[in-house]
Amino acid sequence: MIRTNRVGVDPVAHVAEPARRFLWRQRRADALEGLSWFSFAVVLALFLADGGWTYFTNIRDLATGTGIVAGLIGSNLLLVMLLLAARLPVVDRAIGYDRALAAHRRLGKPVLYLILAHLMLLLIGYGLALGRDPVAQAIAMITTMPDLPQAFIALAILVLVVLTSLVIVRHKLPYLGWYGVHLLTYAAVLLALPHQFGQGELFAVGTWARWYWLTLYVGTLAAVLGYRFLIPLARNLRHQLRVAEVRAEAPGVVSVVMTGHHLDKLAAHGGQFFGWRFWSPGLHLEAHPYSLSEAPNGQSLRITVRQLGDGSHRLLSVRPGARVFFEGPYGLFTAAARTTGHTVLIGAGIGITPIRALLEDIDTPSGGLTVILRGDDEEHLYLRREVEEICGRIGARLEVLVGLPPHQGRTWLPSAEFAAGQTISTLAPDIPDVDLFICGPKPWAELVVRDARAAGVPRHRIHAERFDW
Amino acid sequence: MRRSSTAIVGVGSAAVLVAGWLAGSARFTTDLPVAPATQLPIAEKTPPPTDAGTSPLPTPTEAAPVVVAFNGPVIETKYGSVQVQVVLTDGAITDAIALTLTDSSETSVEVSARAAPILREEVLAAQSAGVSNVTGATYTTQAYLSSVQSALDAAGFMG
Repeated sequence: MIRTNRVGVDPVAHVAEPARRFLWRQRRADALEGLSWFSFAVVLALFLADGGWTYFTNIRDLATGTGIVAGLIGSNLLLVMLLLAARLPVVDRAIGYDRALAAHRRLGKPVLYLILAHLMLLLIGYGLALGRDPVAQAIAMITTMPDLPQAFIALAILVLVVLTSLVIVRHKLPYLGWYGVHLLTYAAVLLALPHQFGQGELFAVGTWARWYWLTLYVGTLAAVLGYRFLIPLARNLRHQLRVAEVRAEAPGVVSVVMTGHHLDKLAAHGGQFFGWRFWSPGLHLEAHPYSLSEAPNGQSLRITVRQLGDGSHRLLSVRPGARVFFEGPYGLFTAAARTTGHTVLIGAGIGITPIRALLEDIDTPSGGLTVILRGDDEEHLYLRREVEEICGRIGARLEVLVGLPPHQGRTWLPSAEFAAGQTISTLAPDIPDVDLFICGPKPWAELVVRDARAAGVPRHRIHAERFDW
Repeated sequence: MRRSSTAIVGVGSAAVLVAGWLAGSARFTTDLPVAPATQLPIAEKTPPPTDAGTSPLPTPTEAAPVVVAFNGPVIETKYGSVQVQVVLTDGAITDAIALTLTDSSETSVEVSARAAPILREEVLAAQSAGVSNVTGATYTTQAYLSSVQSALDAAGFMG
């Protein structure tokens, strides 16, 4: 995979290379997804090879066999979930961190259901074999079988993690509470290990399954440890970021400029984001994802933030000199994601800031680049001057749309443009043969995507940064 | 995923599942180490003196039933050895006595102690070693039944 790590060295100008790069990324994404599916077949095959098929040769063992399979599939899926959230560079570069996390979230409930089914079916299966009802069997398991009490605790933790992650509950919880419970997942995985490797004969010494699962667990935990803790730690020790300047851009919007050591070696691109943690009273416990609002120039990094959630309003109180811990860079919202030679960037409100950073990295022959900015009023066109300056310098088309949307009709355009019959095609004439980058509030971005699809832009050329997590 | 990738994954998964199934059936139907069964010196109508190596048997009379005992081979499993003695009375299986059971750990002692009576009853009921697995005691089951089968084979037991 081509990766121009060095700031300022630019990617590409002609069409062949983005197309080839896209093909590579698609292959890589397919390989990863295929590998995940394949792992389930491997798990089942190992189970069969170690004699698991005997459970299905008679009615009596059916519940036990099905319960074991549910546990195996659930565990494998849980490890896939952990890997999706482990910030693996290979995953980020193939599908992007936001899609990886979206997949991670979708898997939460299925994993829980599978593990619950595992418990229920085994209680029934063992209960049948020993002539106990499931409740008596559960009590017997907890009181007489080694490793089983830990497994029950692990399941209770999983229930808690999924409950706190349900949309309705999560919005009522402080970020830290949710995060703390989420970290317990690792405890749950570790607590469940003894009953998998010790109890019963499933991953017993001498079985093929034992080696497979050992490798999988060690690999996953190593990946999590490495990419979520050790590598970020090493990067922070190397770059030593500190706040250099805090500047008000507009009411409630600040830019934070950070400097540090060897920033020219930080492989970041315009359009990417980091998890930021400001070492300042009341802020240091929370990491927030913010995109760069300026392509890295080797000297400093800049973010531009509007006050939204728990921590962002307190950014105003951050003082120059404050330490900054970062995780990243993450994201595929970069010039390298392009698949053609023509590019259209559309940003709304605070979503203009990543567009501003991305714009600097896009080196397209004149006329092949259109930038569309949208704000409810002039004040919401954050960083407009900078965008205008860059567009003028590189000869990009710039369309600025100001005003509220019409009361009637769902559109991403302001009412005046909407009434005048403007569309995405009139604003960006080279549509549909473009790569379209969209950043803004989710409902708005969805309307842009809808119009772009209707205008014939293929789905893989629409790059939308998700800002809602 | 693209269709070609989906197809590759589908075929690959199917292949690995079939391989797993085949490996499993091969290992768990033929692969247990089986030594020949030994017939105990219980001659028909001439009861031997009872000693440590044989079961106490009733003294046969003129109309007495024909009782023979066969020791199955010792089957090694990773949890310990299993050996079963089969007692045939007038050609029917009337007892299966576990001479050795898995003992590698407290758990394997418990597991096989639970499984053995269940297996004995099933073998007596089915009059064959072709009975189902005891949940959670797959290795004990396989070894137990294997020992029984070899003993039956040595006895020329036809069911």
